[in-house]
Amino acid sequence: MAEKKVIAVIFGGRSVEHDVSILTGLQFLEALDPRQYSGLPIYVDPLGQWWTGDTLKKRAHYPLNASKLKALTEVKLDLATNAIGRPTLTAIKKGLMGEKREYIPFDLMVPTIHGSNGEDGTIQGLLEFANIPYSGCRTLGAAATMNKPFAKKQARNANIKVLNDLIVSRPKQGEFINPDQIEDQLHRAFGSISYPYIVKPCNLGSSVGVGKADDLESLIGALMSAFKLDNELIIEPFVDHLVEYNVAARRKLDGTIITSAIERPLRSAELLDFKNKYLGGSEPGSPKAKSGNSEGMASLNRKLNPEELNDEQIRFIRESSIKVFNDMNLAGSVRIDFLCNGETGELWLNEINTIPGSFAYFLWEAAEEATSFLTLTSDIIEEGFVLSAQRLGETDTNVSGATIFIES
Amino acid sequence: MTDQNCQKQNPTKWHHQDFGDGEQTLIWLHGWGQNHTAMYRIARLFKADHKNRLFDQPGFGKTPIIKHGGTEEYADALAAQLENGKPHIIIGHSYGGRVAIQMAARHPEKVKAVILISGAGIPRKRSIKFKVRAFILRSIGQGARLADSIFNSNLREQYSNRFGSNDYRNAGELRTTFVKAVTENLTIVAKQIKAPTLLIYGSDDTETPPEIGQKYEDAITIARYEELEGFNHWDILDRGAYQCEALIRKFFQDLNS
Repeated sequence: MAEKKVIAVIFGGRSVEHDVSILTGLQFLEALDPRQYSGLPIYVDPLGQWWTGDTLKKRAHYPLNASKLKALTEVKLDLATNAIGRPTLTAIKKGLMGEKREYIPFDLMVPTIHGSNGEDGTIQGLLEFANIPYSGCRTLGAAATMNKPFAKKQARNANIKVLNDLIVSRPKQGEFINPDQIEDQLHRAFGSISYPYIVKPCNLGSSVGVGKADDLESLIGALMSAFKLDNELIIEPFVDHLVEYNVAARRKLDGTIITSAIERPLRSAELLDFKNKYLGGSEPGSPKAKSGNSEGMASLNRKLNPEELNDEQIRFIRESSIKVFNDMNLAGSVRIDFLCNGETGELWLNEINTIPGSFAYFLWEAAEEATSFLTLTSDIIEEGFVLSAQRLGETDTNVSGATIFIES
Repeated sequence: MTDQNCQKQNPTKWHHQDFGDGEQTLIWLHGWGQNHTAMYRIARLFKADHKNRLFDQPGFGKTPIIKHGGTEEYADALAAQLENGKPHIIIGHSYGGRVAIQMAARHPEKVKAVILISGAGIPRKRSIKFKVRAFILRSIGQGARLADSIFNSNLREQYSNRFGSNDYRNAGELRTTFVKAVTENLTIVAKQIKAPTLLIYGSDDTETPPEIGQKYEDAITIARYEELEGFNHWDILDRGAYQCEALIRKFFQDLNS
């Protein structure tokens, strides 16, 4: 049997979604085919330090205390990987004879950091620069979908229905939010002012910082608290009788784009905020995970394949997801979220998550043509190898005729 | 007519859950102190392409007890649950592994293959320290029983409460079954097995350590041993389910090729 490929799964990160990311990362590691791959956990702590070690593999060890941290090895990513060598992490161990370097080679990196620094194209850019194969969206797709206004603009151009919006930037240092100016902007964006509105950070996922405003005063409040998280905010009209639907899309190894089962998240509060989404899960009769929320996104209460959707709605959800996936050149398992007015049945594309919680495996397992998490992880890895190889092939100066210095 | 004869003529139905569709049936046997739901998470992964039957073993869940039954009686009772015809693949976790081994040895015509996940059944090597401690404790237990019979005291009960394992204390009516199981050695039985066997053990398992799987590998004619890094006796069924799935699917592929 050929040697197993080492798959480095990077999770945690300097992001508000740090904890959710740990769950996603561990789930991915657990679903790796042990005959083909060997998993290497890399944990990025909230300070930005990178760690590896077997201690990372168990949920029960989090949050990592001092004694757990001692069992880990601090690592740094070697950016100067040479063209033929394998990517490596460098660990520096202090011993009696001074510092000793240890090299930990791997073959592909799987970013499972949600939100900032993981889903936004930054880590993807870093890995491209270092010629390190990685899985999921490339830099462009990741960055483009992370910015909500930009992603919506793309969808609008592709004739996919999205809500009208107003983008508000953080006031300059020392200035306050001007209520008159906001009202003026609302008028221009929506024609007339009709509360309630929803305020969201432009560059975060997982419903962090989302607030609802019933009047001007609460709008200012919602803006102020959301500006703590992002420099740009998006204001959208609140959808009456709001129901949300999510679906995942991915490209099979043969090139066709497929969609998963559709889910309707069940919520106890009006808004799907962070607490609700990940820490809730107390609906009566719902199955409880053994150790609290060990299932992450998977333990979120949901209705899979909800019956209330008619054929036309299902077609809209599936077709716009495939279109967005294709147009924005996405990869990996991508979750596309929709908003719906439960009374009128009207649907809008809401946002695109390129590293969704738990890789949305539960949606794939419930799909008509079911994909097990095991197959999903293998497909994501193999796609990553293919995409990275395609790009690496193009960087040779000889191919493009850009060679200036020639040996004489 | 005794109870047992009654059962032979009209075997008690074991409670079970069925799901999935496919050519091959998979019979799932849970471990001690559990019921069929313990196997649900992993069995579910085979729903798309196999007929799955998850049993409550006698004395657990909703299946009635077999009085003083050992793994042999369990296996015979299991054989009575399974239709003749296409042989089945038996998958047992821990104690369910013991029953799977007995089943394959005693009723080979009904078994196509065996899969043990952290399967029990072969005593492990113990340290001298452990053996000495066990000998002393056993002697105290025997002493207590003797004292009880002479003085009508309840020292033996106190002894069990103090030194017995949780499983032993909680066994209740199943205590004989439990004692039979933990004192048996299935090596000789395993040697009779002709069905291909897959052995999956977690590297961090302290209940049925990898050593037991390796001993099974030596005993069984056609056996494949696989060790999963970083899993223990219980979480191998839970967070280890996908890795088990991968190994089992590969085993099925090789079985059919």
